[in-house]
Amino acid sequence: MAASAAGTGYIGKSILRREDEYLLRGNGRFIDDLSESRDQIHLGFVMSPYAHARIVSIDDGAAKALPGVIDVLTGVDLAKIAKPMCTAIDLPGYVIHERPVLAIDKVRFVGEQVAVVLADSPYVAQDAIDLVHAEYDPLPVAADLETAREPDAPLVHDHIERNIIFRAEFKTEGFDQAFAEGEFVLKETFRTGRVAGVPIEPRGCLAVPDHVGDSLVFYSSTQVPHILRTKLALCIGCPEPRIRVVVPEVGGGFGTKAQIYTEEIVAAALALKYRRPVKWIQDRREELLTSIHSRDHRYDIEAAFGRDGIIKAVRVEVLTNAGAYSSYPFGCTLEPTGGARMLVGPYKIRNYAYKAFAVATHTCPSGAYRGVAQPSCFLTIEGMMDRIGRKLGIDPAEVRLRNIIPTRELPWVNVVGVRYDTGSYEESLRRALEIVGYNAFRKAQAKGHFVGGKYRGIGICNFTEISGAGAPGWRARGVAHLPGFDSALLRVEPTGKITVYMSHANSGQGHLTTFAQIVAEQLGADINDVTVVEGDSALSPYGTNTFASRSAVTGGGAAIRASAKVSEKMKRIAGHLLEASPQDIVLQDGFASVVGVPRMKIPFEEIAKTAYSMNNRGLPHGEDYGIEATDYYDPPLATMANAVHIAQVSVDAEDGRVTVDRYVVVHDCGRIINPVIVNGQIQGGVAQGLGETLMEELVYDSEGQLVNANLLDYLLPTALDVPDCEIGHIESPSTDTVGGFKGVGEGGIIGAVPAIANAVADALSALGVNINRIPLRPSYLSKLIRDAKGSAAAA
Amino acid sequence: MSQKLNVRMKVNGKAYERQVEPRYLLADFLRHELGLKGTHIGCEHGVCGACTVMIDGRTARSCLHFAITVDGAEITTVEGLAREDKLHPIQQAFHENHALQCGYCTPGFLMTVTELLCRNPDPSTDEIRRALVNNICRCTGYANIVKAVAAAAEVMRGAAGRS
Repeated sequence: MAASAAGTGYIGKSILRREDEYLLRGNGRFIDDLSESRDQIHLGFVMSPYAHARIVSIDDGAAKALPGVIDVLTGVDLAKIAKPMCTAIDLPGYVIHERPVLAIDKVRFVGEQVAVVLADSPYVAQDAIDLVHAEYDPLPVAADLETAREPDAPLVHDHIERNIIFRAEFKTEGFDQAFAEGEFVLKETFRTGRVAGVPIEPRGCLAVPDHVGDSLVFYSSTQVPHILRTKLALCIGCPEPRIRVVVPEVGGGFGTKAQIYTEEIVAAALALKYRRPVKWIQDRREELLTSIHSRDHRYDIEAAFGRDGIIKAVRVEVLTNAGAYSSYPFGCTLEPTGGARMLVGPYKIRNYAYKAFAVATHTCPSGAYRGVAQPSCFLTIEGMMDRIGRKLGIDPAEVRLRNIIPTRELPWVNVVGVRYDTGSYEESLRRALEIVGYNAFRKAQAKGHFVGGKYRGIGICNFTEISGAGAPGWRARGVAHLPGFDSALLRVEPTGKITVYMSHANSGQGHLTTFAQIVAEQLGADINDVTVVEGDSALSPYGTNTFASRSAVTGGGAAIRASAKVSEKMKRIAGHLLEASPQDIVLQDGFASVVGVPRMKIPFEEIAKTAYSMNNRGLPHGEDYGIEATDYYDPPLATMANAVHIAQVSVDAEDGRVTVDRYVVVHDCGRIINPVIVNGQIQGGVAQGLGETLMEELVYDSEGQLVNANLLDYLLPTALDVPDCEIGHIESPSTDTVGGFKGVGEGGIIGAVPAIANAVADALSALGVNINRIPLRPSYLSKLIRDAKGSAAAA
Repeated sequence: MSQKLNVRMKVNGKAYERQVEPRYLLADFLRHELGLKGTHIGCEHGVCGACTVMIDGRTARSCLHFAITVDGAEITTVEGLAREDKLHPIQQAFHENHALQCGYCTPGFLMTVTELLCRNPDPSTDEIRRALVNNICRCTGYANIVKAVAAAAEVMRGAAGRS
């Protein structure tokens, strides 16, 4: 156990969460649960029913006449008090564009807000929305990713040619020659459906102005309180010191709540305008129409390889659907740059070329949903591993082993410049194969894939998970306005108890427990004496906040660094009180003692009283009052976690339904803080990946109408769909980061998509069907099976 | 706005009487009229189950009922499960098995599980999963919820055996 203090062994233990009890009692206070004031205004947004139209007129007469309606405002009104949203991405090939907080002349997706109603209750707000009569002049629509680049496609923004918001190219030296050396070439197109995070709590916010009317407490169900505060200040012209962002309990985020949304800007601006609290709670239809969507990717890949299955070169074109506007703060470049840059994963691919595009369409903006590009890019490369195996008659696990980066060659800098410090690519794969009983499954399968009315298959995903990106990581992807660091402020209070203010904001990850584990261990404190506070910009120092598998890495590092400062001061004071050198002081179990003389000890409380001048003992000469330290941690470009997922599935020959019979994960997220929480992240991520692979899809028709904006038609996995994951761990602590932690938030979903898709492909391989798109819904698979049987019968 | 009607109900053993619009949802009534905010709203169309409560001993979606249609009923919400000093065995099992992450869907699950274990004190894993299909959790992937239900069932059977 690497600990600067004596090490009380909290890190690595499955300590039960301190968040649980109040949540279980129904005492958690989410955004819609905050206490209401009598003069509170409820907002309701009027959404466009058209994907692309000119706004001709908005008649708010009937709505304004309704008792209980305070006002109705349009885009023109809001433009006077709120600047448009704009995401600057510092990469060549990106075309900047603006989005007014309410549409002014034109709407560009179904659900884009054209007016806002202010009412004294949410019921009246809903009535008023129905009474606002907006007239539109509909325009031609480009809703489909694959045709939106065509020369005659309607433009989403007049200045963005061919709707290409972003394009990038990359090619290693000597690529063409290397590609030509491959004895075999396989080409495939992979297509992923459009999905969304769908947290069970929709979004919402509450803006409360103070009595003077020039400052604001802004409550939001956000994952990024500091980023939100800065953006609010810039958009509504309120000085940043006068805005305090507070995050209540958040009912799931998954990246959906890591974006800044127009509704938040509108609510803040209106609270200052009316000098009254303004509340907005989203309903589910709005959530599905307007909270960021994700995936909707096309990958065209070509791999050149030898007879031994070793890849010589890979060429890929990545096409992603940006939707109508680039979301903030990540921009629509996150998916194409992410997919193209991460596709090489744990493999020794040295010759690589990509083209990447983000294409604007008349659909909801895309943004950062758990896993971002990685479920798609690993579906692609892992799908190719299987295809290479099938082509050459080599087992797909063996193909992977022949291409894998061996542990002895770490650290490894991949072909796009990302450093992998430590990892266990080969060990994780071998361990997962062993746990699942891979050889035995293959032996049984050799007698036939079709058993008891079902096709049986097994699928592997071996992948890297980018986590804990620091400033260099965000700069590499053109996001210059996102800091990269996070922070911790530690304070030993006069009673000797410890408060830790983290820059993060959790939405179920258990930060109040895990950060307490880290700090208690570093300071030699009793964990019950450590309280973690986060999600309040007035209390916590600035940071990049919580998304992209970053909190353990960035927050863990910041907490360790701040703990070290606090620990040094405590040792100096204790040394003074015990008449020993600070170097000889050990902090353990809430006491400072002299090394080798355990009876010479004083409790933390005595050190704290001394520091706060609340006893007769006095501080050492030159020492300041109080015990407090803030520190920041900006990790390297990326911290690479890795894992192997193996799914064993059966596909019903009649109805095409997929059952996941077994699911094995071997995961390596470096040094583990809390195993039960880590396993919970993996299991939950796998459930989302299963949904993405087998059932979830937001479907737009050719007119840009989202046809399934409800949870009856947008299917989420239930307890009958999701298997119990068998999870094994390998710990390869990061050597590049403070603390050795690697992120784990996204691995579950990244691995599940390719593993399940490959398992289905394997199950149906005897039929000769090609599985290269998700979701694999029963209707789709049963048709593939019927067609394959039909053509077999006809032959 | 239509005329308000009188509605009476007993919630977690306590009697309440209020005047509400006929269209006022039971979920909103519990949350905003009575201040029992443990019942959460996730979809308002009866799919996610976050708003599940007990109406006269049976689970129901409080987003699909108007408050006035349950006039005279006895309602139990998540706030009615624990004692002041002690969690209900189901809640305790959820805690011990890490069966919640964000906790938003959790009150609904607790009500569903309460009903299940009342009807079937010794459910099989399959029976547990079939009962849980009424509720959607986006965080946990269900495995730990299933474990928690089995653990709670065992504790509750033990307690019933002793009494």
